[in-house]
Amino acid sequence: MIKTSVKKHPWFKRILIVGMLLLVAGGGVVWYIFTDTFSDTTDRKAAFTVNAMDLLHEFQQNDSLANRKYAEKIITVNGRISELEAADTTVNVKIMDTLTDAYIIFAFQQQHLAETKGLKEGDSISIKGSCSGGTYSQILETVFVTFKRCAVNQ
Amino acid sequence: MKKSFLLIALVGLTTFSFAQKKKVTTSATIAFDASTKLDPLAVAENKTAVASLNPKTGEVAFETVVKNFAFSNPKMQEHFNSAGWMDSDKFPAASFKGKITNLSAVKFNSDGTYTTSVTGDLTIRGVTKPVIATATVVVSGKTVTTTSAFEIKVADYGVNGPAIGAGKVATDPKITVSAEFK
Repeated sequence: MIKTSVKKHPWFKRILIVGMLLLVAGGGVVWYIFTDTFSDTTDRKAAFTVNAMDLLHEFQQNDSLANRKYAEKIITVNGRISELEAADTTVNVKIMDTLTDAYIIFAFQQQHLAETKGLKEGDSISIKGSCSGGTYSQILETVFVTFKRCAVNQ
Repeated sequence: MKKSFLLIALVGLTTFSFAQKKKVTTSATIAFDASTKLDPLAVAENKTAVASLNPKTGEVAFETVVKNFAFSNPKMQEHFNSAGWMDSDKFPAASFKGKITNLSAVKFNSDGTYTTSVTGDLTIRGVTKPVIATATVVVSGKTVTTTSAFEIKVADYGVNGPAIGAGKVATDPKITVSAEFK
């Protein structure tokens, strides 16, 4: 049936080839989208580098504005570790404003989990991660800012 | 003899006070599994949820920043936070507030594993619905670990993305919450 159509109409062959190429390209795009994974945070360029207390103050002053500015962006945060908290089988790093109890919490990227092992409370640290934004905690009655896919900034 | 009695009483009172004090963690884990045979990528985990447990009243609560659910796939994470799904720009937090209904079954000052029933209200996308779940409470010294798994119907919370209709995302994803209180 196709052979007959190709013989009768030479343009049909071209349409067939273009159609097949589009199909392969489309399949490639879909395959790429669904097998894509987040890149290593250490390879990403930070959109902002901030002091932990300054970042907290921005969220405390106007969380809507701060969320628009920082959410889903790679940020480097410099500060001093207040607490290392167990999170299932991993450890989160927490930097807290002792005056207000507001805090920033960093969950580490899979390939960087081991970096939390040598850390101690009171250490100065620079962490790069994806900021998820912050909100007011009804439980703690303070502001908290969360990060995912973090790595210690070497 | 009198001194020993006072010491024992003091230790007992301290243990009792500890057991009765509200416990809080800021590193509770919430896992979300909406994967289907057609699409295994709708799986995420959030390790920075705030959770509280009051051993005296049985009150339990957790809350989380929605955008901190970490997916392996960037496109899936983008869809999850979009207006058709969690609409996390408009509704940045999700929360649960409830109570252990069989509190007398848990001995917070005695090591062991206890099965409890929890009822409460789950708020997602600004919609609050009642939830009943079974939770396991493990007491080990001063550490209390709680774990609960339950399913929700995403349509109840106004989530009706085309991917659900196409069978790529589960209509009733499984939510697992675990928290370790020190």
